[in-house]
Amino acid sequence: MSTETPSQPRANRFGVASARLILLLLRARAILVLLLLLILFSALAPEFLTANNLSILTKHVAITALLAVGMTFVILTGGIDLSVGSIAGLGGMVAGYLLTQGLSFDGVTHFPPVAIVILLTICACLLVGALNGWLVAKAGVAPFIATLGTLYIARGAALLISNGKTFPNLGGTASRGNTGFPAFGQSFLLHVPTPVWMMVALFAVAWVVATKTPLGRHVYAIGGNERAARLAGIRVAQVKLATYVFSAFCAALVGLIIAAQLEAAHPATGESFELNAIAAVVLGGTSLMGGRGSVTGSLIGAFVIGVLADGLVMLGVSEFWQVVIKGVVIVVAVGLDQLQTRLEVRILPYLTTVRTKEGHS
Amino acid sequence: MMRRTLAGLSCVLALLLTCAGCHRDEHRRKLIVVIVPSQDNPYFKAEADAAAARALELGYRVRVDAHEDDAFRQDNLVDAAIASNAAAIILDNAGADATVSAVRRATRAGIAVFLIDREIDATGIAKAQIISDNDQGARLVAAEFVRAMNGSGEYAELLGKESDTNAQIRTQGFHAVLDQYSNLKRVSAQSANWSQAEAFQKTETMLQAHGNIAGIIAGNDTMALGAAAALKSAGKLNVPITGFDGSPDAIDAIERGELRATALQPAVLISRLAVDEADRFLKTGSTGHSELQIIPCELVTKSNAGNYRNFEKVR
Repeated sequence: MSTETPSQPRANRFGVASARLILLLLRARAILVLLLLLILFSALAPEFLTANNLSILTKHVAITALLAVGMTFVILTGGIDLSVGSIAGLGGMVAGYLLTQGLSFDGVTHFPPVAIVILLTICACLLVGALNGWLVAKAGVAPFIATLGTLYIARGAALLISNGKTFPNLGGTASRGNTGFPAFGQSFLLHVPTPVWMMVALFAVAWVVATKTPLGRHVYAIGGNERAARLAGIRVAQVKLATYVFSAFCAALVGLIIAAQLEAAHPATGESFELNAIAAVVLGGTSLMGGRGSVTGSLIGAFVIGVLADGLVMLGVSEFWQVVIKGVVIVVAVGLDQLQTRLEVRILPYLTTVRTKEGHS
Repeated sequence: MMRRTLAGLSCVLALLLTCAGCHRDEHRRKLIVVIVPSQDNPYFKAEADAAAARALELGYRVRVDAHEDDAFRQDNLVDAAIASNAAAIILDNAGADATVSAVRRATRAGIAVFLIDREIDATGIAKAQIISDNDQGARLVAAEFVRAMNGSGEYAELLGKESDTNAQIRTQGFHAVLDQYSNLKRVSAQSANWSQAEAFQKTETMLQAHGNIAGIIAGNDTMALGAAAALKSAGKLNVPITGFDGSPDAIDAIERGELRATALQPAVLISRLAVDEADRFLKTGSTGHSELQIIPCELVTKSNAGNYRNFEKVR
């Protein structure tokens, strides 16, 4: 290090130390903000820190978190997936159609059991994800444009399935053998809502993939420098396709959960969910340029958004202010991200040890 | 910079904690949560304000939330009301089918739910469903429309959002009256999704296709106002236009002669009734009324427009 920075005066050491501290705080900003929000809301709303409310809160967070975990991989490759909200809406409608209208073969209507309904719904959503992946990885369409297109396609398809109407009574009928769907979103396991378990399971899988497998390293490598990754022999197209398909899978789960919770499927479900997911990912410190970020960060980001939304409602803050506050939090988060990048560049020579530990920077 | 930010944050935190202290006393009063579709629409705003004011008057704490016609957001807001130990929810719901499970969950949690303005597809769960008579209101407006058209001529209809039950009830009510006059001919019918901007565009297009349109009947006031603006820019004055809802803007337009008539939905009255019944239910265990209560609409024309203000009759 001394050979790299011979001109640095000794007095700068303190500056470097405080810069390191600031950098540490910046890196941990999502969790700091989350803690601050939890303390704030617990102090202001006495009902906030009750087991009942925390269970409800986590259930709400699960929706954003599921989408954010899927979105993280896409963003890590330097892409974006704007279609997740629409895919969730489409998923709900497919499930609603299968449960209430059934499938007709040779003039006979069959009502598939709930497990098959869920499988078929996920398959339908994966198709949209595969279309996203194909457009981006093979056809070379910019991710923003490709997924903007599928956003409209999926939403239109959702509206077409029912002609804009709601599919009600998704509880199913015993004579058709398709009861039990609402449990997908409403049931509890060990006093914890099922959607929360799904979030935990999906997060665990995503964390392992991102940090322990070659696939995860390839995702980071593509986002860091796609050309270099390709030259290094990484199959860029397949990896990208996988990220969009996984994102669509997460969206399918969300669509199913919401339809199960409401016991009804509405074609407009999931509008602007993609923005919440992207906000959660960015709050969690993942760079929109790709190559830098983590699944854990996105989970924390989803918690920040969820806690903020529910907390402000419980405090009775006017809905207009809620929107403003959410916007401010996102803008500040992105601003801090820029600050972090700039600081990292400036004190780069002093941080070589830290950086090799981080690996993915 | 960091230090200053931290200092600022701790100041804010300290302030908020002090505030929390002074709110403690408030928590002894019961909470009524009012959930409406939005607060940037005059109708829902009047509805929410009336309910909140009455509940405060009766000594409750009040919180007003908006679900933006999104059944999932509504679900979350009902959860939040359950978590806040609300005593009652006054709800203008986000869809007759998609609301049932949320209302059932709140009722199971011991919260009395009172539905206003729109019904749900289930009875016996909510304590009351108080709605305005859209069918009767539509017939009132249609009869006035027939008078304005002298019983003959070409007209166009602007329909509300197709997924909304009220859009269907209103158009059925219109046609129960209009279809009795064989000389009245509907040359075009378009959905403008309750929106003023969309009604403006749709009306301009309809006027291009059908130059003889001599009247426009709209499913709500915002669409009627959009149509009025389109007719004005096309230089077609004195074409009768009717709306529905009785919004302040529409009543002003009726006084100026730009709209012919509207059906006023007694939103303020309904909100007050709902809170009064919630109060009685919380005190005595019964609302004293049947679950479904239908309140008639009132016809507003130039002759009586001065009597109505902000969704209620003031004189």
